[in-house]
Amino acid sequence: MVDTATPMVAMRGVQKWFGELHVLQDIDFEVAAGEVVVVIGPSGSGKSTLCRTINRLETIDEGTIEVDGKKLPAEGKQLAELRADVGMVFQSFNLFAHKTVLENVTLGPIKVRGAKKSDAEKRAHELLERVGVEAQAAKLPAQLSGGQQQRVAIARALAMDPKVMLFDEPTSALDPEMIKEVLDTMIDLAKGGMTMIVVTHEMGFARTAADRVVFMSDGRIVEENTPEEFFTNPRSDRAKDFLGKILKH
Amino acid sequence: MDWLTDNYVNILRGFGETLRLLGASGALALVLGTLVALARVSPVPILRGVGTFYVTIFRNTPLLVLILIAYYGLPEIGIDFGFFINISLAMGTYTAAFVAEAIRSGFNGVPLGQAEAARAIGMPFMTSMSQVVLPQAFRLVVPPMASVYIALTKNTSLAATFGIAEATFRMRGLFNDYASQMIQIFVGISLGYILIVAVISWIATAFERRWAVA
Amino acid sequence: MTSIKARWAAVAAAAALTLAACGDAGSSDDASDDTPEYEVEDVNFDEGTRMAELNEQGSVKIGVKFDQPGIGFRAAGSDVPTGFDAELGKILAADLGLEPGDIEWVETISANREQFLQNGTVDFVIASYSITDDRRQVVGQAGPYYVTGQSLLVAADDDSINGPDDLEGKKVCSVTGSTPIKLIEEEYGATPAGFDTYSECVDQLLNGSVDAVTTDAAILLGYAAENEGELKVVGEPFSEERYGVGYSQDYPELCEFINESLTEAFEDGDWESAFDATLGKGGSEAGDPPALDPCQS
Repeated sequence: MVDTATPMVAMRGVQKWFGELHVLQDIDFEVAAGEVVVVIGPSGSGKSTLCRTINRLETIDEGTIEVDGKKLPAEGKQLAELRADVGMVFQSFNLFAHKTVLENVTLGPIKVRGAKKSDAEKRAHELLERVGVEAQAAKLPAQLSGGQQQRVAIARALAMDPKVMLFDEPTSALDPEMIKEVLDTMIDLAKGGMTMIVVTHEMGFARTAADRVVFMSDGRIVEENTPEEFFTNPRSDRAKDFLGKILKH
Repeated sequence: MDWLTDNYVNILRGFGETLRLLGASGALALVLGTLVALARVSPVPILRGVGTFYVTIFRNTPLLVLILIAYYGLPEIGIDFGFFINISLAMGTYTAAFVAEAIRSGFNGVPLGQAEAARAIGMPFMTSMSQVVLPQAFRLVVPPMASVYIALTKNTSLAATFGIAEATFRMRGLFNDYASQMIQIFVGISLGYILIVAVISWIATAFERRWAVA
Repeated sequence: MTSIKARWAAVAAAAALTLAACGDAGSSDDASDDTPEYEVEDVNFDEGTRMAELNEQGSVKIGVKFDQPGIGFRAAGSDVPTGFDAELGKILAADLGLEPGDIEWVETISANREQFLQNGTVDFVIASYSITDDRRQVVGQAGPYYVTGQSLLVAADDDSINGPDDLEGKKVCSVTGSTPIKLIEEEYGATPAGFDTYSECVDQLLNGSVDAVTTDAAILLGYAAENEGELKVVGEPFSEERYGVGYSQDYPELCEFINESLTEAFEDGDWESAFDATLGKGGSEAGDPPALDPCQS
């Protein structure tokens, strides 16, 4: 399942500061094609920032980031092309508020990939079916529940046929009863062989679907391991401390 | 009422000119103002500077001064497309500054996540603006924009003394020939302007409904 | 009102005075232009008339155009307007027993003439002021003292416009009133251009931004004379404009006074010499004086 030839995502020596704050320190990190990596860590650890640097929603100050062997270009056409290959799901969904659910999913393929409208709609209906919100296709995002919106957001990202999907705390803004429907969708995706980097607090998802868990703290990657190893036998004190806090209840 | 019965063609032609002027300068203001607003929110520092400079200059110069420049100044340096275009240029560039500010306030009302989501699916800056940010900004922009265009409608009357036979010019002519009916003429021509403004308000309301987000 | 006989007596008296003053430095020297002098009479008006009041107060306010060469025009730096209308103002003043120096000249533009008469800003308007029924509803208009008609002023080297029929699609400038615009736009298919002064119209004609200026031939002749070789008046007048003297309806007695004053000026040659010194400078003839409208009462 894991292809080690060319990593799908490779970060080397990445540094980033927010003013005085060193938010990413000496990040060396690779994700192989088909791998599902869960990034966890306390808030402020830099995990969201790390996720957002991969499609350059955040810039970095030093180091290199490669996606599928290609260095991340600066602003411009190439960057847009690369972003099209990197799907992203946000904490706050960010569905296009003025477009219907269907249009949210077809907009990228039509405007970025140049797909025909009829083809894009056919594919969009399939994807909406897959994430279970096909019945809502004609509605505006504001008419959907949070869980439905997030599943539409996943469909929107999938419509671009991404090589890798980034999930930036996809369930953090959801009411508890809706978390499962989104996680189930993500688990299906993972099983289907999608390369995924998931920033989350959902340890259940990490255990079930992750090939590897990356633990971050204070802008550094402190520990990387299989979920099994990481949850049962964390090596670093900070990971132990973190797991102690979140797994207690 | 013979001022009206004898001159309705004359008056309608005047309002025709007013509308032409409103259309030409309004279209220029919309295009130019949108570009300036885009420049002001663009990721390129020099464009932001240019946008800010434009707004500072054109919003703070009295319209009459711009018209005088367009009317007397531009022909001096060889830019002479006739009264209509030169005056439209002055009104359009002036109004563009207000359009830009109205649109910018609209941009600021669109959540940042919308642009991020657009960029994340690979839209270049201009596409993300035209497909995602602007349509939502325009909705927020409709009320202030209606005010800008209502002001422009009334501002077109300044053209009356600069070679354009629009409604106010016709009104002055009627004053001259129908001295005993001045009040009627004044009220009548004012009603014409009010009608134009009412149509603009109506269009604004229609746009607001159409671009409603749930 | 003084009779014609009385007037002649006054002229004789004035002539005697002039002869008597002959040895002195000519009192007319400061008015060194070639405009005629009008005899200032010793007049007697009925008590309570406006004429008596004006005569009593020793001054009169006359509204004229300041921007129409040959009719009413004030050169930069000058205090006193020149032109046919201004000359008629002097004739009226003389018949009120007032010297040209007693006249307070007030600039009127087309749009404010009625207002100025109604609120007393001026006592008379002599400002290329066509007599119309509508105007007579709000102000008094005596005369006409001159009859002209709408005509066309074009560049001297423009052979394409020889009359109103050639105006199709041409940009034509007019200022006073809706009628000239209506005529050229609706009848002759011209495109009107809007300005608020004739001088602006003429400037735009000189620099080629408009193709023609249209208004009363009298006004255009003045501009043509001022820009000789550059501008010309073409075609026959295609409307009739009768210039009158405007006065306030509060003083209907002014109508008879004006008409009598005009009649005398027609008869004693003052009207013709006034014309020759102003509009007639370019060579056009005054022609026969027009027939005056009777005063209503």
